[in-house]
Amino acid sequence: MPQGPVRVLRLGLRPYPDALRVQERCVAAARAARPRGAPGESLVLSEPAQPVYTWGLRGAPGAAAAARLRARGAGLVAARRGGHVTFHGPGQLVAFPVLDLRRRRLPLRRYVQALEELGLRLCRRLGLGAARALPPPFTGVWMGDSKICAIGVHCGNHITSHGLALNCCTDLSWFEHIVPCGLEGKGVTSLSQELGRHVTVEHVLEPFLDSFREVFDCTLVFSEDPGD
Amino acid sequence: MTGNLSQVFRALGLFGLKKFGSASAAPVQHSYRSARKFTDKHEWISVENSIGTVGISNFAQEALGDVVYCSLPEIGTKLSKHDEFGALESVKAASELYSPLSGEVTEINDALADNPGLVNKSCYQDGWLIKMTVENPAELDELMNEDAYEKYIKSIED
Repeated sequence: MPQGPVRVLRLGLRPYPDALRVQERCVAAARAARPRGAPGESLVLSEPAQPVYTWGLRGAPGAAAAARLRARGAGLVAARRGGHVTFHGPGQLVAFPVLDLRRRRLPLRRYVQALEELGLRLCRRLGLGAARALPPPFTGVWMGDSKICAIGVHCGNHITSHGLALNCCTDLSWFEHIVPCGLEGKGVTSLSQELGRHVTVEHVLEPFLDSFREVFDCTLVFSEDPGD
Repeated sequence: MTGNLSQVFRALGLFGLKKFGSASAAPVQHSYRSARKFTDKHEWISVENSIGTVGISNFAQEALGDVVYCSLPEIGTKLSKHDEFGALESVKAASELYSPLSGEVTEINDALADNPGLVNKSCYQDGWLIKMTVENPAELDELMNEDAYEKYIKSIED
């Protein structure tokens, strides 16, 4: 379905709060574009430069837990998205698609499934045929009992924000200090761990964008401008 | 006689019976009630005794998937029409809720704390979200009635 190109902003290695700010501008641009019928969708890609723990509507750490996490050198950021507490940091591809679900005639739960499909296609492109998505509450992309890609989105006025975080060569020990996504007894993994070689965020950008084009049936245009 | 009757009727709370009452009676603050009206963001509101009950439509609950958490405002919160008043979480997605009218939150549905799935199972009855005062009844006229909403859904679904 022709929608106009999706603007891709590749931020590279940037602090997570910076990526959030860019995302906010993209959301404002998408809202402004709508009454004009103009293409206003974006995809913000970044690799968090410093470790942060984030949480959604639920999962905020109590004061003692917050102090412990800070003591380990991580920042704490509230993000108004679905999903519990998770970790973002170097070695992780964080993708924020800012899409107009009303224009795409896509119900929210189907959008979340599309993000899972995106993660699955990417894993398969990289040789991980065993990657799978599981039904709620196990939303995300899994290798066995370990999550390789976390998903948590926000939807306001049918415009999406937040999105997914794919562990490329993330230091997985950061996840040991939380119950990721509130799921006891489940693990986390990364592309590097599964493939047995060092896979960086840079390595996965092209296959990620190819998978994104396919799943969301769009063309991509590269930009440094959120469009607002 | 008619003057006395209108006084009697007012005392009994039967405000609608103007044909018996005196036409020159002072304007009466009658109990405001309306059938369910819908917003283009798929919330509904129905008003009884000047209090509006707000929820999301069947179309919306299907689009969301299973609701696992409801983030609702505190009693006493003052809302303007279109204000964001909370969010529903489903399938790792937080979806915002927008106030259909201006008014003050008088009640929130406590049952949703333990049973957020009521929003899916009974979106028009037990899965109501908040109750609020109706500050400006004219705002109700701006909302869609059930027929108009059904047409609206068809138009966006194709």
